[in-house]
Amino acid sequence: MDTTELRREIDEMASSFLFLEKKEIDIPTAGQFLNQLEGVMGHAEALGAAEAQRLSGGLNQLLEKVVLESVDAAAGFGLFERGIVLLQSVADGYCNTGRYEGSIDPFMAELAACLGIPLEPASGETAEAPSVEAAAEGPAAAKERVQDESLLRDFITEGLEYIGEIEMNILNLEQEPENKDYINAIFRPFHSVKGVASFLNLDAIRTLAHDLETLLDKARNEALPVTPELIDLILDGSDTLKAMIGQLRDGLEGREATELIDTSDLVRRIKLAEQGAEQPKQPKKLGTILVEEGIINEDELQDALERSQIPPPRKLGQTLISEGMASPKDVSRALRKQAQQVTDSNTIRVDIKKLDDLIDMVGELVITQSMIRQSDTLAALGDRKLVRDISQLASITSELQRSSTVLRMIPIKQTFQRMSRLVRDLSKNSGKLVNVVTVGEDTEIDRNMVDEIYNPLVHMIRNAVDHGMEMPEDRIQAGKPERGTIRLKAFHRGGNIVIEISDDGRGLNREKIRQKAVKNGLISAGDALTDQEVNRLILLPGFSTAEKITDISGRGVGMDVVKQAVEKLRGKMDIQSVEGKGTTFVTGFPLTMAIIDGMIVKVGNERYILPTVAIRQLIRPDRAAYNCIVGEAETINVMGRLLPLVRLHRLFDIEPVHANPWEATLVVMEGEKRSKCLLVDEILGKEEVVIKNLGESLKRIKGVSGGAILGDGNVGLILDPEGLFEMAEAN
Amino acid sequence: MSVNKNLKILIVDDFATMRKVIRNLLKQGGFENVVEAEDGLAALKILKSQQVDFIISDWNMPNMSGLELLKAVRGDDELKALPFLMVTAEALKDNVVAAVKAGVSNYIVKPFTAEVLNEKIEKIVKSLAA
Repeated sequence: MDTTELRREIDEMASSFLFLEKKEIDIPTAGQFLNQLEGVMGHAEALGAAEAQRLSGGLNQLLEKVVLESVDAAAGFGLFERGIVLLQSVADGYCNTGRYEGSIDPFMAELAACLGIPLEPASGETAEAPSVEAAAEGPAAAKERVQDESLLRDFITEGLEYIGEIEMNILNLEQEPENKDYINAIFRPFHSVKGVASFLNLDAIRTLAHDLETLLDKARNEALPVTPELIDLILDGSDTLKAMIGQLRDGLEGREATELIDTSDLVRRIKLAEQGAEQPKQPKKLGTILVEEGIINEDELQDALERSQIPPPRKLGQTLISEGMASPKDVSRALRKQAQQVTDSNTIRVDIKKLDDLIDMVGELVITQSMIRQSDTLAALGDRKLVRDISQLASITSELQRSSTVLRMIPIKQTFQRMSRLVRDLSKNSGKLVNVVTVGEDTEIDRNMVDEIYNPLVHMIRNAVDHGMEMPEDRIQAGKPERGTIRLKAFHRGGNIVIEISDDGRGLNREKIRQKAVKNGLISAGDALTDQEVNRLILLPGFSTAEKITDISGRGVGMDVVKQAVEKLRGKMDIQSVEGKGTTFVTGFPLTMAIIDGMIVKVGNERYILPTVAIRQLIRPDRAAYNCIVGEAETINVMGRLLPLVRLHRLFDIEPVHANPWEATLVVMEGEKRSKCLLVDEILGKEEVVIKNLGESLKRIKGVSGGAILGDGNVGLILDPEGLFEMAEAN
Repeated sequence: MSVNKNLKILIVDDFATMRKVIRNLLKQGGFENVVEAEDGLAALKILKSQQVDFIISDWNMPNMSGLELLKAVRGDDELKALPFLMVTAEALKDNVVAAVKAGVSNYIVKPFTAEVLNEKIEKIVKSLAA
């Protein structure tokens, strides 16, 4: 191959163009030129003739568009003619001097312009509705309808038959996911149904069949792995199609129409599945496994593969066995291994209700085994083997509990994605430029918590964008990049999930916060507060109510509401901020609402569980710290603050061991807006307990939020600090 | 000049209802001399045993696809000049270009009307006669 030959090829094309009988490119002519151009492109590339390659490539595209009627045929004809002439002179140049002196750029630009602007599609073929429309008019109408009806009957019978085939082929596909023939066999019925449905104006059926077909096409082109989910989706799709065609039949037979079938959920799932096309996971082929196992080598595999193709085609495994290259046992073991991969690489969907039930049952199991372990009878028996076995049971059950709780965990990713979208929307509305960076998206959290934490997080995001972030021009003035950044970070720390929302905005103005707090009487002017304490002031109720806080701190109203929402979820919240550099909200949530970290306290013979998050301090006060003014509430002086005393034994009418605060133990507890000291007999310890509902009838008991079964099998009530406070205040 | 309505047209499609749809549309255009085949292989058998003037074939069929049938027809000395109209579901670029390169006479996109079908047939037949 040399340049002379390239020129000969191009000349040949030019002469066949010259001898065109009609001045237009019809489809057969286009086909002929497309084939010639293919040769020219390949040769130009091999010779390194860049212009010839670009030009012939451009002309190839032009012809394709002409064929697809997205370029006007007449315009395309003129352009093609000039392109061929130019191509000839390019070839001349290469033949004579080894390169082309002129420039093809002006022509390429013109070509690009022509290709870039799609013309109106040719009329007639696209949206015109066939016979049904015509049926409404003229004397032919009745005949048309009859014809339609008979077609419809045929469609129903044949369509149902075809879709029935899908189920059979799906089973084959499930066993051999890589077999293209099976995919094709499933693809075709959908395709045919779609085709006829489009003629009969059955739009819903056509759309669904089309979507399923597209999905299968992706699977066929290996853009999508054939997973059990995909197969389920296809089965659901064919069931729905069947139902839709069934409705048609009912309609024809004059039966009452059932409710229209809603395909939106299905269509959404199909779209989702299509998007999941990015990381195809293909199980290893049988041959690869056998080679890896060292049963056959690469050459033998190729050999066997070729021989499997010889008609009648056989499966690779059959060839290998019949040729004696592998034993049936080897092949079946490899097949099993292959099947294993398929399941390994996949997940299954489980109804959350089933999962909840499972986790509940495991909780019960843990409690029951702990009851057995602590049983007095067992201790009295003194059977060492039994004791050993039971402690083995204990470790298995706690492992079971751990792994079953993990089942319900999902990555925080989705929440972060929603938050990122929110930042984008908010910043667009306010004219600010904000990037979102997420860290730790894979951090897991109980599914039941995900929705709960979303709202408080949204408030914080809103604050960060609305008030923390400056306008672009202010940022430039402050010497910061025009575009601000909000970082969403999640990680696990000590049984909690920590979520940080940080911005690089203007930060909190501590001086002004302090002034404001003094004005509102939250602190006194002389109070020495650390930076951290000042930051926390904005979380206090009553801080942001008087006037718009945005004026002083750049932080919006209602952070106390956010804090309350976080605490309701037994979470904690903190703020870090550097003025001019930005602010970080740190929130910690328990991983699950099913377990509570509790402090077990004893009053008389009763034991109660206090949520650890609400506990600030445990103290045994001096006698001097106790004040009781007659007719007023009892108070305890806790480091300079006078806190009301709440006697738990009085609230629940129990005979206490200690009635005097200086002999008993006081738990300083924090509720909404206030703290109080709770008087108990003693602290028994800290324990993670599984929360149990008390049931409908006991749901509204004040001061009690739930129950839990303690290690020894007895029931302990979980106390709700806010409820206790209200009870105390009511007395 | 009008097209000879007595052309013997072979419809190739695996879906019987679809064949009937096309047959009906052809009838509206005055073409009634029609034979049917359910896939490429069956079509080739008919082409070998009787005189056919025009082929209308679906793209996607089991055993032997429309494209394979087209290539077989164009590769056969006796049949290679036969007009061949390909029916596709969408004007998918890759499919259409492949068919064009294989020498298809024209293509038509589902759903189509009797008028458009008629137009395509006339166009093909006239360009052959010229």
